[in-house]
Amino acid sequence: MNHATARQMIAADLLKLRRHRPTMVTAALLSAGMAIVYFAFIEARHHGNLAGPQALSDGASLMGNYFGAFAAILIGAEAGTTDLSSGVFRDLVATGRSRTALFLVRIPAATAITLALTLSGFAVTVAAAYAFHGSAAAPTASLALEFAAWVALATVVQTTLAVGIASLTGSRPVTLILVIGWNTIATGILYLASFLGSARDLVLMIALGGLFPGQQAGTRAHPGSSIALNNFKLPMPAVTAVLVILAWAVIPAIAGAWRTRTRDA
Amino acid sequence: MTTAPPVIETRGLTKRFGSRAAVSDINLTVPAGCAFGFLGHNGAGKTTLIRMLVSLTRPSAGVIRISGQSLAGHREQVLARVGAIIEEPRFHPHLSGRENLQVIAAARGPQARQRIEPALERAGLGDRGNDRVGTYSQGMRQRLGIARCLLADPRLVILDEPMNGLDPGGILELRRLIAGLAAEGRTVFVSSHLLDEIEKTCQAAAVIDKGRLIAQGPISELIGDTHTRYELTCDHPQAALSLLARHRAVVQASQAPSGLRVTLADPRAAGAVTTALTEAGITVTGLAPVRTSLADRFLGLTSQIRGNS
Repeated sequence: MNHATARQMIAADLLKLRRHRPTMVTAALLSAGMAIVYFAFIEARHHGNLAGPQALSDGASLMGNYFGAFAAILIGAEAGTTDLSSGVFRDLVATGRSRTALFLVRIPAATAITLALTLSGFAVTVAAAYAFHGSAAAPTASLALEFAAWVALATVVQTTLAVGIASLTGSRPVTLILVIGWNTIATGILYLASFLGSARDLVLMIALGGLFPGQQAGTRAHPGSSIALNNFKLPMPAVTAVLVILAWAVIPAIAGAWRTRTRDA
Repeated sequence: MTTAPPVIETRGLTKRFGSRAAVSDINLTVPAGCAFGFLGHNGAGKTTLIRMLVSLTRPSAGVIRISGQSLAGHREQVLARVGAIIEEPRFHPHLSGRENLQVIAAARGPQARQRIEPALERAGLGDRGNDRVGTYSQGMRQRLGIARCLLADPRLVILDEPMNGLDPGGILELRRLIAGLAAEGRTVFVSSHLLDEIEKTCQAAAVIDKGRLIAQGPISELIGDTHTRYELTCDHPQAALSLLARHRAVVQASQAPSGLRVTLADPRAAGAVTTALTEAGITVTGLAPVRTSLADRFLGLTSQIRGNS
């Protein structure tokens, strides 16, 4: 497959996703929409004295761990199943195009959309952090960039994970339940299971937490603060975190590609 | 029909699902540049065979060659010039007709993109191309499916039960489209259980029953219509019947609801038989060949198989 065909195929996958209005509206509400709601609530609570670094940390966690991540998983699940659920997969296969290529183009297409959404949500965070810090510390540009990079990393990995699992299962609901359930409920339990020791480093959200630029947050770190923005941060070597994150992107992608190659269309 | 090498050739093609063979040892030859009917009852194995032809499912055994090239070895190359509608045409309902074609054109490569507008026009959807496919009728979806096939500039067009769900106008339109494609030198492989349609649309056909190919060839050969059966009407049927029973050119003569049914050894003897009747004082008011239909032949073939099994 040459570059022109690859570009066309990615553009076609982008088109399918962009035009799916219910998914796009939901994903936009979950990302940028939730960032607006969250900072409106925080601003009302802190009356213009929101510490900049804390705002960035909260916003990054909101996009990388929670609502932005849900949007990424939603889009990834749609990208991985839309051809199958509409019945168009067999027509794509019948063109003779390699099934691996049909799978691979889903990832950049979905990622382009999810990055736009979560980084928009994080842009809301940055704007709020600058606008509402009042007498509290202002955020620095370098810290904002660090958090933005982390949000981008979390988005790319979770989108790829969702595309892979969706292509493997062929089912959007199953993918949403599996990935969101694992990344929130199961991860939350494992994060607190200190008897597991460093085995917890193998959990995606904990590995992502290992690279989180902010402080550990959540009920244990800050008693009385919101548990909604717990960032699953545990001390771990950066190399371990990178390898675990890479594995969580690559292994589901391989599984998804394998199923796309072997499934009866 | 041209004398070009077969556009589809299968040898020993078999597909098993567990112990059940959906398609068994099929040796099919489809000549290039014609409309070819693929007949069979529901569940006979038509769609399974088509799915193997376009690589949607792998054969358990056997070889498929399309335009002389092995499908197993040159899948991408071979299917690049094949357009297919398998079962019913399916699309992304939230995209427009034009956008759905863009999706397939992207997979087919840069040249296919330039064929979108001509394909829409040819399918009669030029003015509805921007409407969401969710709003299309069954007939429009079928035509959009054909437009999608045309993106490949296909040498071979495979249509699986294309008449399903179409109204008489839609069927007529599709028949014209198939004839047009065949006239351009493309091979149109039409699977159907609508025998009358195949007889009207195709020049050659194959019959599949219970996963086995039981006949193939030009429609006229399949029907075996040698014009030896006639329906005869006259003013004295009983006298005519007794004369015909003794005539050496007559193999069989019997009473039929609308006259006499006469089977001749040679169709050229029809004139001699009429003369004999006239000389015997019988006025012949009509002598018309009884045409065997593809439906008669198909039912004969498939019931024969059922009887044997």
